[in-house]
Amino acid sequence: MNSFAVVQARSFADAAAAMSQKSYSLPVLKAGGIDLIDHLKEGLIAPDVLVDVRRVRTKDPITVSGDEIRIDATATLAEIAAAAELRAAAPVLAQAVENAASPQVRNAATAAGNLLQRPRCWYYRNEQFNCLKKGGPTCFAVEGENRYHAIFGDGPCHIVHPSNLAPALWVCDGVVHLTGSDRPSVPVRYLFHTPDKGVRTENVLAPGEVVTHITCKKAPASGFYAIKEKQSFDWPVVAASVVLELKGTVVQSATVCAGAVAPIPWDLRNVSLALRNVDVADDAALTKACSVAGRGAKPMSDNGYKVKLLPVAVKRAVLTAAGRKVEIDA
Amino acid sequence: MKTDVAPTLDGGSAQIPTDMPTANRPMNMGQSMNDNASRLDGIAKITGAAKYSSDMLLPNAVYARFVRCPFGAASLAGVDDAAAKKVPGIIDIEVVPKDCTYHGQPVGHIAGDSPIAVNRALKALRLQWKKQPVKVSIAEGAAIDPPQGEIDGADATLLAVYSTPVQTHSSLETHGGVVDHRGDKATVYASTQGTFSVRDGFGDAIGLKNADFEVVCEYVGGGFGSKLGGPGKELILAAKLSRKFNRPAYVMCNRAEEHLDTGNRPSSVTKVKLGFKKDGTCAGGEIRTYGGVGVAKGGGGVSIPSGRYTLGTIDKKHEDVSFNAGGPRAFRAPGHPQAAFAEELALDEIAAKIGMDPLDLKRKLARDDVYRAMMDEGAKLIGWKDRKANGSQKSVLRTGYGMGTAGWGSAPPGGNAEVVIHPDGSVESRTGTQDIGTGQRTTMGICTADAIGIPLGLVTVRIGRSTLPPGPGSGGSVTSPTTAPTMMAAATQARTKLLEAVAKQSGENAADFAVQDGVVLRRGERVLGWKEACALLPADGVSGTADTGDRGKGDSQGVQFVKVVVDCETGIVYPKHVIAIQSCGRVICRKTAESQIIGGVIQGLSYGLFENRILDRNVGAMVNANFEWYKILGPGDMPHIEPVLWARGQTGVKALGEPPTIPTAGALACAVFNAVGVPVRHLPLTPDKVLVALEGGKA
Repeated sequence: MNSFAVVQARSFADAAAAMSQKSYSLPVLKAGGIDLIDHLKEGLIAPDVLVDVRRVRTKDPITVSGDEIRIDATATLAEIAAAAELRAAAPVLAQAVENAASPQVRNAATAAGNLLQRPRCWYYRNEQFNCLKKGGPTCFAVEGENRYHAIFGDGPCHIVHPSNLAPALWVCDGVVHLTGSDRPSVPVRYLFHTPDKGVRTENVLAPGEVVTHITCKKAPASGFYAIKEKQSFDWPVVAASVVLELKGTVVQSATVCAGAVAPIPWDLRNVSLALRNVDVADDAALTKACSVAGRGAKPMSDNGYKVKLLPVAVKRAVLTAAGRKVEIDA
Repeated sequence: MKTDVAPTLDGGSAQIPTDMPTANRPMNMGQSMNDNASRLDGIAKITGAAKYSSDMLLPNAVYARFVRCPFGAASLAGVDDAAAKKVPGIIDIEVVPKDCTYHGQPVGHIAGDSPIAVNRALKALRLQWKKQPVKVSIAEGAAIDPPQGEIDGADATLLAVYSTPVQTHSSLETHGGVVDHRGDKATVYASTQGTFSVRDGFGDAIGLKNADFEVVCEYVGGGFGSKLGGPGKELILAAKLSRKFNRPAYVMCNRAEEHLDTGNRPSSVTKVKLGFKKDGTCAGGEIRTYGGVGVAKGGGGVSIPSGRYTLGTIDKKHEDVSFNAGGPRAFRAPGHPQAAFAEELALDEIAAKIGMDPLDLKRKLARDDVYRAMMDEGAKLIGWKDRKANGSQKSVLRTGYGMGTAGWGSAPPGGNAEVVIHPDGSVESRTGTQDIGTGQRTTMGICTADAIGIPLGLVTVRIGRSTLPPGPGSGGSVTSPTTAPTMMAAATQARTKLLEAVAKQSGENAADFAVQDGVVLRRGERVLGWKEACALLPADGVSGTADTGDRGKGDSQGVQFVKVVVDCETGIVYPKHVIAIQSCGRVICRKTAESQIIGGVIQGLSYGLFENRILDRNVGAMVNANFEWYKILGPGDMPHIEPVLWARGQTGVKALGEPPTIPTAGALACAVFNAVGVPVRHLPLTPDKVLVALEGGKA
């Protein structure tokens, strides 16, 4: 690790200004510091200045007013999970973060940090592997160890996007608001780009653009379900976020997005369409509608099981969103 | 809820619950010397006051790390250390080009004034590696044909191949230590399972006679077998550097190095061909085992048949298979958990073939009546009667029950101990043997207090120093069986000397005196308080010593029952309940003994469900050399675990270190087989494998 300076930002505008200062060669924004510390320990970055925004927050970091939910960029995952009003307004958001990582991580990790964290791919994280994401020639997962890698997205890099919150905000029409930019905001749907649009980054934000807060619509009939090998401190192998409009138990419209299966939150529009007019009380019809979730997947040597798991996660997220019992409380 | 009074950090006291995680206290037979003594060093450990070897950041120390091969097979063709040498604070670089055959193999070291300087220099070092083709598994190193044919005279023949992954020890405190060389003497702070084997193993590296340096290891953050034996390459390097620079030298592995180059439980493949008659008698068979020993020459043995079941004539052959990976070291019951997995699941598969309840089959085959008695008690506690026939459940969540057995023969070597009673009433309990986290410090205190007849609070325990009376290394589950009787004998002798002094005072016979609850009695009547009695001692106090020889071989047995729920849509296995019955002989401290059994079960479940060293198939590098992707059981995965201490008809102090981890993964696999109706023959039992089994009918 090399020496670096720390700038304690008083506002996001301050932080954006500091990030754009020409005197720094590699400024890095720090909020919760979770992914940052990992990168420093793994020797993957060597910043000369950290611009710390952790203490930049409004008096009320999470608010629900009218039709809108507003979350400070620096609201912690624990705060999001604990906010009763938010949970009622959009259960999918609370459910997406309440079991993420560990209690210690959730107490420090922030909303924006969760969206903008880098992938957990074991080749990317290992400095010995000069992979595409680090400017190298190859994605080592293709011919190598890929049990936790992407089943969608067509590469050339096969990471999965690690954020649980991103697909949850995606289905709630989330918008990230920016400072230090000539655009005021970017919808979460357009926040991430596939590797073919630039393999070195995962999102469209430019250096100097700083997320101030996130807004999204209310989605009272929404749900999240993750399938994890371990029930503590593990990454999902597949996850699904769903927002429904229901008439009784019949789906009027659905929005479905998957996590942990592609380099970006993965739009399952075929499932969204298939769910229309499905009675969630009709198990066979619901199973059939969800079964299309794995279509178009291109698994590699060791991750075909994810294709089988995805429809299960989607179905359970739908049932959760519809407020029905999910037979999963083992 | 029962409570106990415990001291708090601010000098006060607090009510703490003492209910153990067991709901079955009446089951626990026999007397324990102390039911609920908390660890004597518990507060020191949780507050950080306990200093481990890795905490020994001595003034003016040299820090060093190994330079290691980043691939499974590569030749180091060129070394350019010009930039690394220029890193401020670097004092020593030595890298020797050679051909490497595993990820993590050392090719030299860098030493400097701080860990940061060393890490910078490692990054600045330019090494030219020429990668070579690698083999990373048993399958790549040996041709294994599937078993075929039938056994003559059998009604059913099982043909099956089982496999287990490499499990790394994953000790929380990594390997290494600190050597503080001061010319004609030295102190070695070692993270070890053998204080005395470290002292005896330096050879020329430290340049001193054994009598001229002290090995200190007051606290050890786990070892599980990987810290047995001599100083290891980390301490040898520390000794050389400390001697060379006449400064303390600190060499500890980081987490990745710990996974790569400090040993492991080797992988295994077990090929089974077993014939059975309808009545459950074995018509014999063939077993072929393969141990995945990486670059080691041996150490991959698989202890199947275990001998716990009567299996007739088995033709058994074993082969160790080499490939490009770090080699094994002793790991908590070496060769046993992988064998128990194959043996227990094979027997359940046979039971299904011949239409028997697997518990009935194992009851019939068990070599020893104690297993049958344990099976009967365990079946009641887990609720075996609720077990449904294999594969008969159609729901998403299916419940399964499984059972496994353990056997252990420990051979405690001799050991020495000393107990000193001081004139001020304080008591010292002295043995050099280390506490690797199992509670040795606490049990030594209890043995001393109990043998003398005084409260535990009067005893100060001194352990983990090579200048104290020698005792055994902590391997083979011999520490308590060796040291407990020795310490009790030493304490008894010290008490006798005290009572002789008391009797002499009044011209009476020492045999009429006794100590009970810290009070001296004469023919049952209180005559003196403890302090008053000790005040009669000469100025130096009295000491008792004991030197016990080989304690002979002691057998112990265990049976575990596991109940699981399997989610058949996701393939996730949820362990729900474990009954762990274990021979214990005389229990010194029930809380510590139960904790040891629970720990063995947890490690066994973690092995069965998650742990797996994953090597990149192309370059042989371990891709999960961390605790993020090398998965270990966490709180959310923890079932209700009930240890049952089985003291019926037993005497002496029995082995509890290794046996409780032997049967767990096997019992778990049997439970999954029961729930889903198809065997999953390859550990760990991750969703990919369970789903394949469910869909294809075989894994």
